[in-house]
Amino acid sequence: MSLLASLVRAYDRLPAAPPYGYSPEKIGFCVALDADGSVCEITDLRATDKKRSPKLLLVPQAVKRTVGIAPNFLWDKTAYVLGVTAGEGKRTAAEHAKFRERHLEWLAGATDDGLVALRRFIESWQAEAFAAPLWPDDLRDQNLVFRLTGTFDYLHDRSAAKELWQRLGAEGASATQICLVTGEPGPIARLHPSIKGVWGAQSSGASLISFNLDAFASYGHEQGDNAPVSEAAAFAYTSALNGFLADKAHRIQIGDASTVFWADAAEEEAAEAEHLFAAFLDPASEDKLAAGKIGSKLAQIRKGVRLSEIAPELSQGVRFYVLGLAPNAARVSVRFFWTGDFGTLTANYQRYLCDTALLPPPRDGWPPLWRYLVELASQGKRENVPPLIAGEWTRAILTGAPYPLTLLSTTLMRIRADGEVNALRAAILKSVLIRNFKSREAPVALDPANTNKGYMLGRLFAVYEEVQRGALGGNVNATIKDKFYGAASATPQKVFRTLDAGSQNHFSKLRKQSPGRAVNLEKLLTSITDLMDPGNDPIPASLNASEQALFGIGYYHQRSDFFRKHDDKTSEEPVK
Amino acid sequence: MAFGIRLHVWGQHGLFTRPELKVERLTYDVMTPSAARGILEAIHWKPSIRWVIDRIHVLEPIRFQSIRRNEVGHKAPAGTIKRAMNRGDLEGVQLLVDEDRQQRASTVLVAPAYVIEAHFELTARAEASESEGKHLDIFNRRAAKGQCFHQPCLGTREFAAHFALIAPGAPLPTRNPAAETADLGFGSPRDLGFMLWDIDHAAPGRPSLLFRASLSDGMMEVPQPGSPEVKR
Repeated sequence: MSLLASLVRAYDRLPAAPPYGYSPEKIGFCVALDADGSVCEITDLRATDKKRSPKLLLVPQAVKRTVGIAPNFLWDKTAYVLGVTAGEGKRTAAEHAKFRERHLEWLAGATDDGLVALRRFIESWQAEAFAAPLWPDDLRDQNLVFRLTGTFDYLHDRSAAKELWQRLGAEGASATQICLVTGEPGPIARLHPSIKGVWGAQSSGASLISFNLDAFASYGHEQGDNAPVSEAAAFAYTSALNGFLADKAHRIQIGDASTVFWADAAEEEAAEAEHLFAAFLDPASEDKLAAGKIGSKLAQIRKGVRLSEIAPELSQGVRFYVLGLAPNAARVSVRFFWTGDFGTLTANYQRYLCDTALLPPPRDGWPPLWRYLVELASQGKRENVPPLIAGEWTRAILTGAPYPLTLLSTTLMRIRADGEVNALRAAILKSVLIRNFKSREAPVALDPANTNKGYMLGRLFAVYEEVQRGALGGNVNATIKDKFYGAASATPQKVFRTLDAGSQNHFSKLRKQSPGRAVNLEKLLTSITDLMDPGNDPIPASLNASEQALFGIGYYHQRSDFFRKHDDKTSEEPVK
Repeated sequence: MAFGIRLHVWGQHGLFTRPELKVERLTYDVMTPSAARGILEAIHWKPSIRWVIDRIHVLEPIRFQSIRRNEVGHKAPAGTIKRAMNRGDLEGVQLLVDEDRQQRASTVLVAPAYVIEAHFELTARAEASESEGKHLDIFNRRAAKGQCFHQPCLGTREFAAHFALIAPGAPLPTRNPAAETADLGFGSPRDLGFMLWDIDHAAPGRPSLLFRASLSDGMMEVPQPGSPEVKR
């Protein structure tokens, strides 16, 4: 099924989805009108929290405003309704005039008390009348709705208003065409409602489907005619998508891609699958699950138990959808869209865990995907995560496909740039080697018998560093790692002779300080060099990318091994 | 299958743009019938014949990749060009790429490969003396030699299509057994949603014609022109 079709389907299933023609909007105040159109009182609808967040109310769907002036039906911001704004409004007068003109036209034949009251209010309203105490000053630039004094429902909720809104919608509809989502004939949406809440896109909302330049149009079609989507389908897919984007249970951020996900199943199973998926990629939601039934299932999934054994009801027939949306100014683009069986998804997730498994593991258990991504960003800032890699990698994890090769080159580049080889980076290197190169040489834990050139040189490099640390202590300003890591991993021949010569000095000092340690390190050094085959050029002029990756893994393994042994010793000492 | 042909096409990438997501382009999962028709027409076409696609076999797993490119935001206006031709002067006929740049994302297919099964019909413009065998011979000869009037493409021009004729009676190229997944409709048919069948250039407003596409055992059946499955 296509992206739009699955969103439309999700809309039909969503319990809290707004009805056709209505959308939830942030409303600040309600104006109560007397039957003659005079203002009786103003009610503040905002919450009492610090930010005074406005109330979300279902109102007639907002019109799409870009540069044009277009009022909403029976509600709007004060610039439109009253002609009043806090800032310097160049168009305020024009906006209010438009609101007045359109509403007088819409409400011309209305007989309902509420609608008549609103018409009278609009006819008599003068912007000069805006003054305290009746009109509080924080009202400016808030959205307003109306109410008839003595009644409890809002004006737009009155049945007469609903009927009128339906009629207006039918009158505005364009010619009937076949909708490419449903396949049924229907009036075609000219402009699609905005998608709100995509990180990095315009705050007023951006469009998933828009044709704003003539290079995008084909065959002389204009706007929505380029891709005939019926009004109903356009409303359904945008409502569903906006609902998901606003809901923390259906949304996570991966790099710059705002990712939404949903399951197509009975409510309970769908919620369970969605919780599990959120926990796969984001630990914040994992904490909430830790104690419950889902938490234990998650732990088993991570141990590699097949989903059909843990949750048979989820492994068959629960279709799952993951959609990554990336911002591009006023447009939203689809970074990835995955749809399939939840069982397949879980299997792919387990494969990803297996590929990244590394000993010793990263300090805090199961690092979320974004922790890995931050390792690829300069200065470790989340906003610097290379956008395309984040999306491609996520897609590869979801589908079980090979990883993007830029993942390897970017990780190597970051390591060269800041000389840090940590568990996360080594895990990325290892997972690319295993998945893309089917490499059997990338071990999970320290492998003293591995004879790959890169791996051995990485270990050797770690030993040289340890010798230096032993001789000079931990407070060296620039260690050989800081100075030589980049060169040693890329062009070992240039560096290793120097390192070897330098290590002799360190060894002689170390022998005087702690002879036992010097002997141990020398033994280790020989055990590595013994593996090397002199005929096969053990220290080549250059290493290719996958050998450089193994260099990093070897270095990480050997180096963390020193620290681990060190820990063992301290724990043994009291016994002696 | 009297006048049927089978053509194996493949390439590094393919981009069969969905009309609804053609600004930030997203590809259909499978080649569209109109894209297949375009490939056949690149090899042989005359006003007297009309290609009809019967079915499309998908040989490789469906994989995607995202790329971003700088593209131009406007078309060269036909009116300006016409005026310049009348005037005999190139003044103003230009698109400045660096001043009208748009960065757009595309999600493309990686390494697609298909077998197109198709046949052709004679149109009203065919002369009485014309026989179908003649056109079939021309097509087979040209396709076997690798001849084409313009380089056929997989959806968009930048993704060139390689092609090879499958001789009548010869077996289809084999599919890697690892590719025979549920994704290609092995086991149970996979619904691909509504897909563009072609554009009706004869009707006013040039509407798109759609059909409900599905993959079963790696094959997409394409409805015949005029059948009720083609929505108009």
